[in-house]
Amino acid sequence: MDKYKNIWRKNLIKTLTLGVFLFLLSFTFEPYNQGQLALVLMLFIGVLSLTVLTGASGQISLGQGALMAVGGYSSASLITHLGASIWIGFLVAFFATAIFGLILGTAAARVSGPYLAGTTLVIALALPSVANRFESVLGGDVGLIVDFGTPPTWISNLIEVGYEQWQLWVVLPVALTALFFISNLMATRAGRSWQAVRDDEIGAAVSGIPVARTKVIVFVVSSAIAGLGGALYGLRGLVGPSVYPVSLSLTLLTAAILGGVGSISGAFIGTLIVVFLPDLIDWAISGLAVSEQLSNYLPALLTGFLLLATIIINPAGVMGAGHRKKH
Amino acid sequence: MNTFISTLITGTANGAIFALAALGLVIVWRGAGVVNFAQMGQAMFTTYIASNLIASGNSYWLAFIVALISGSLLGMIIDLLIMRPLAHKKSSSATKTLAGTIPVIASLGILAILQALAGIFWAGEERGFPTPVNSFYFKNGDGTLPFSAFNLFVIGVVLIVLLSLTYFFTQTGAGLGMRAAALNPEVARLSGIKVSRMRTLSWAISGAAGSLAGLLITPSTNLSPNTLDLILIIAFTAAVVGGLDSPLGAVIGGLILGIGIALVTTYGSPENVFLAILFVLLAVQLIRPNGILGGKQVRRG
Repeated sequence: MDKYKNIWRKNLIKTLTLGVFLFLLSFTFEPYNQGQLALVLMLFIGVLSLTVLTGASGQISLGQGALMAVGGYSSASLITHLGASIWIGFLVAFFATAIFGLILGTAAARVSGPYLAGTTLVIALALPSVANRFESVLGGDVGLIVDFGTPPTWISNLIEVGYEQWQLWVVLPVALTALFFISNLMATRAGRSWQAVRDDEIGAAVSGIPVARTKVIVFVVSSAIAGLGGALYGLRGLVGPSVYPVSLSLTLLTAAILGGVGSISGAFIGTLIVVFLPDLIDWAISGLAVSEQLSNYLPALLTGFLLLATIIINPAGVMGAGHRKKH
Repeated sequence: MNTFISTLITGTANGAIFALAALGLVIVWRGAGVVNFAQMGQAMFTTYIASNLIASGNSYWLAFIVALISGSLLGMIIDLLIMRPLAHKKSSSATKTLAGTIPVIASLGILAILQALAGIFWAGEERGFPTPVNSFYFKNGDGTLPFSAFNLFVIGVVLIVLLSLTYFFTQTGAGLGMRAAALNPEVARLSGIKVSRMRTLSWAISGAAGSLAGLLITPSTNLSPNTLDLILIIAFTAAVVGGLDSPLGAVIGGLILGIGIALVTTYGSPENVFLAILFVLLAVQLIRPNGILGGKQVRRG
């Protein structure tokens, strides 16, 4: 038990340090960069959800963006139709997506092989139809318009807060909570039993771990985290089919793989890469006479090559060395 | 009544195309243990090649044959350059974590690259794709018959392909070798079958089947880098319904989905098609994860 307490305390100190660092850093940023940092943190939560799923079960999901959409829609419809506060929205997004994940996971996560990948891909593609089917609640093609709102008066009386800064201040604590939750989870009995199932199903079953149930639980936790990220992601202005396209799911997967599967710091590095790669490409080709067609598709092309190169050359990802040491 | 019959015939024709795409997935799954999410991306790419050949004045049939050949070549290239090196890689802790999903991720990378390349080379805007025969309903005096020459053409072509594949897999040395290599690579190798060559062959056949499906479906969906994504998930669902490792199951699954989707589109609303696909996919995995005709090895947990 002492060992767990140590890990717990160590993670708490790490998370708080990161939080204070990012908080102080944000004061030196332009509003645009504060928004970018908030975006990184939102997507980081989404990538973390994939890190849990893949790192703990070895499965991948191609529909993590759709799970984010479930979270986004459930919080946005509460905020729009019932006037709930965004914090209630986050809470509801977390649990609603968990329930959704339970239904989905019961069907697909117990089955090994490529079933979960294919099923989640179908869900990602089916999202616009669902939004149209329940247009009165979900807003159809357009979606629901929501935002981060304004800071409460006790903050704005104290200090002047810009919109981007407020956005970051909302996202930061949620992201840190998710980070803290997940880094501890992996060290607990539950997390270890998940890894046991991943590494050797028969061995885990013999040690008394219910394999099928464990796989479903992993998927439920992963879904809930994704829903939380999705709720934040939608608050940037709009919750609609165009905000959570299939490419979002693939971006999250790419970030998780590039950074290093199952590695939390890898998830952060991977997120940084996928967020800033398009900017970097724009900057790199800005001096060259490149056709619009090429510049439109260049980020996707490079991402595809990066993904393929990672999986062929170093499937452990950027944080691969650290990951190997742990084993 | 005419609406119902025409729905059934359109459904059967589309179902035949889905069956072909599903068959492509099943062949690579059996032959190489990979669900190839890039398959319809490859098909999209070769259909663009055909479209460009036709646009520059060549006949439909030349474009047709070139697309099929480039489809099988593309499949072989993917296997030789990417999938075979991946399969031969020594396992490390990371590869162990990812295990069977590595080729899936690789196929997604390939899909992203193919779609981006098609966008860079050809996209701009969606374009149509011609049919070799008339796609309007036959005229019968004043009225029309509830099907077109293109419907018949599609059903006929797919039937020929299915019969030749059946012959190939049951009567020829190469076909039997592929089945042996899929069933038990170790024993197949000991009996002198070149297992990795058989894998490449299954990528080639699947690539050609996917290309054919692309050529036949694009007249009704139009052509853009992403249009065939929908066909991929329909084919995947069809393959799961039939049993991921059963070629006959893939054909049955494809026909079920084709007719089912046609009925939902005609009598329900097109918006419900995705929900119907999702429902079928989840229901099959809950009730019968091995599919209608699948083997027993699917479910472990």
